[in-house]
Amino acid sequence: MSTAIEAAVVAVIVATVVVAVAWPFLSPERGAPEPALSPRERSRLELMERRDAAYAGLRDLEQDHRTGKVGDEDYQSERRRLRAEAAGALRGLDTLDSEPGTSSPEE
Amino acid sequence: MPEQVLGRRLGGLTLATVGSALLLLVLALVSYATVASVLAGLRRDRRLMRSAGNAVMAAFVCTVSAVVLLEIALVRHDFSIAVVLQHTSRTLPTPYLLTSLWASQPGSLLLWLTVLTGASSLVTLQNRHKNRELMPWVTAVLGGCMVFFASMATIISSPFERTAGVVPRDGFGLDPSLQNPYMAAHPPALYLGYVSFAVPFAFAMAALITRRTDARWLASVRRWTLFAWASLGVGMLLGAHWAYVEIGWGGYWGWDPVENAALMPWLAGTAYLHSVMVQEKRGMLKVWNVVLVTATFALSIFGTFLTRSGVVDSIHSFVQSPVGPALLVFLSIVLAFATTLLVWRLPLLRSDHKLESVVSREATFLFNNLLLLAFAFVILWGVVFPLLSEAVRGVRSTVSVPYYNFFLVAFGLPLLALTGIGPLIAWRRATPGSLWRTFRWPVISAAAGGALLALLGLGSSWPGLTAFSLCIFVTVTIGLEFARGASARRAIAGGSWPRALVDLVSRNRRRYGGYVVHLAVVLLVVGIAASGAYGSVNQAVLKPGQSMQVGGYTLTYTGMRSTTGPNYVDTAARLVVSRGGSTQGTLYPAVRDFTDHTVKTQSNEVDIRHDLRGVDVYTILQGADPSKNEVVIKALVNPMVSLIWLAGLVFVLGAAITIWPDPREARQLARRYSTALAKEA
Repeated sequence: MSTAIEAAVVAVIVATVVVAVAWPFLSPERGAPEPALSPRERSRLELMERRDAAYAGLRDLEQDHRTGKVGDEDYQSERRRLRAEAAGALRGLDTLDSEPGTSSPEE
Repeated sequence: MPEQVLGRRLGGLTLATVGSALLLLVLALVSYATVASVLAGLRRDRRLMRSAGNAVMAAFVCTVSAVVLLEIALVRHDFSIAVVLQHTSRTLPTPYLLTSLWASQPGSLLLWLTVLTGASSLVTLQNRHKNRELMPWVTAVLGGCMVFFASMATIISSPFERTAGVVPRDGFGLDPSLQNPYMAAHPPALYLGYVSFAVPFAFAMAALITRRTDARWLASVRRWTLFAWASLGVGMLLGAHWAYVEIGWGGYWGWDPVENAALMPWLAGTAYLHSVMVQEKRGMLKVWNVVLVTATFALSIFGTFLTRSGVVDSIHSFVQSPVGPALLVFLSIVLAFATTLLVWRLPLLRSDHKLESVVSREATFLFNNLLLLAFAFVILWGVVFPLLSEAVRGVRSTVSVPYYNFFLVAFGLPLLALTGIGPLIAWRRATPGSLWRTFRWPVISAAAGGALLALLGLGSSWPGLTAFSLCIFVTVTIGLEFARGASARRAIAGGSWPRALVDLVSRNRRRYGGYVVHLAVVLLVVGIAASGAYGSVNQAVLKPGQSMQVGGYTLTYTGMRSTTGPNYVDTAARLVVSRGGSTQGTLYPAVRDFTDHTVKTQSNEVDIRHDLRGVDVYTILQGADPSKNEVVIKALVNPMVSLIWLAGLVFVLGAAITIWPDPREARQLARRYSTALAKEA
């Protein structure tokens, strides 16, 4: 294989890579710069996180109660707290959803 | 035309040129990806971010291509490339030609770069439509790491460097200890672990930069962290097995600095995997988690430095090279960058709750973290002390095995106890009543089991007896967790016990996969304690017909035999193994002379007999004197070592259960609670 063929192989590789890297600028799909997350979208993400954490907490609490790790009294109080936490998050999400122009960024 | 000249014209020159060009291209691509992703983060430019992602993936393709070219060079004996000349020979079997890629310093750096670009590409693909705010900075941090390793592979230690002067007709041969099947999997598994820890680190830094310090970044990297941690664990176990069957000293872990280098990030990663649950459940330990992620990644880099700098005397380490100082500079940059960001964002990392009771799961995890970190620090000190001693006093001190073993017992036994306590104790606080209900059977079982083992004569080693008792305690806690969980499942859904168990595990893979990993820890501890505390060793000079005793076994030497392999000649002693008068089998410990090395090169090829009772009879041919017709045999009886390898399989199973993605989990939880809570909302 001659040096010319080596050079040609390297050139083809470089060209392919350059096209791949430049493709987002060449493709017809030219979106506008992505806006920063608005305070409302941030709130929504935080509420979703609180909701999911409360759900997981409830599941683990029920499991711990059934297997005897958590007594009835602690179970009831922690359950109330977690349900209130989840309900608060759901309420917040409902409020956000009822406002116009809200999208769900990362469900 | 002479064969070598033909090889250079047809293969060497082309492969080296194209390979070097590919690596330069990788450096250009990852440099672009780093700059472009920073700009994308600042300008929120999605196209720029996509372009950076494409550059990362193109870098991966180019790196893999470079690996393929180097493998071709190795298989074709292209000695015009220096690493091929220095680490292979014409008679080296093909599988070892392939694995010799990571036997050399430049080749191992190329493997690092391959895994890093691969992990970064996967992260890019996984997050194409997720974590849009974090991803530019994640890519930037990973890009910085890739730029460093690509620079090393192109500027400091190129795997495609040409052989200087006249190209010899044959290579220098591969290090004998690396001619073992475990070398195919051990280094790649370790590299997967080391490198994958870069991903949680990158997400942590991105979370700090973007002020998104909530628990979402933790969820995004949960599987990556588990994967890195499991790979490192598997890599260490494979290395331990390699040491056991190949190195020929009778053990599996010698507290070698490079073994320690892998253990340190694994311990820090173990601490992180536990403390992260405290942040998810209770909103606590936020600063601690960032510190742990940084420490884990920094220790991975430090481990790479130890292996590649040549500063430590180890069977694993490479020769001294400029790679060492470069890695130290990189480590300093990583630590300075992470510390600055952490201090800058400290106000965002306040805990949501305080520790309510020391008798709670979060407190247990905190104790577990302190012990794991203390143990990692003790090992770090053991590794660094000889280096500091040499730098300050000019005298190299050594930190010997008893130092590590003392702390292994001091920290390991409480950690083992916490492995049993943690899963059974409630979050926030535990009441005396619940403690009694949950711990009575495990405690009673451990006490009764310990007493029985003492009566059976295992009281000669108190750490061994304590370890066994604690293993019973942990096993019973795990068994109870599965039994109570499955019982509760049956009460809700009915069905058979096996079905209830499957349901239980599939509904909470993280928890029950974790318990399986705890079971692997139990097996590991039993294997280590039994082989360390209750083994036997003997050494004897034997003539044909003479016998030696070890641990209730009789080994009778009956003569020598010689066998020839592709690049070696084995000279083995024939040992007939018997116990209680009955013959159990024949062992052939050997000395292997390699015929493909320019200087006389030998290795010890041990022979091991695995007993059905879990006992290994391990034999080493220490020497042979044909003039006197005698051999020197060292024999060990290692009880229950096979449990350590079984622990590895159970560990992989547990890690797989935990890592296995379950997209249904979030939906199931939402379905279960959303209807009921909608009314309250």
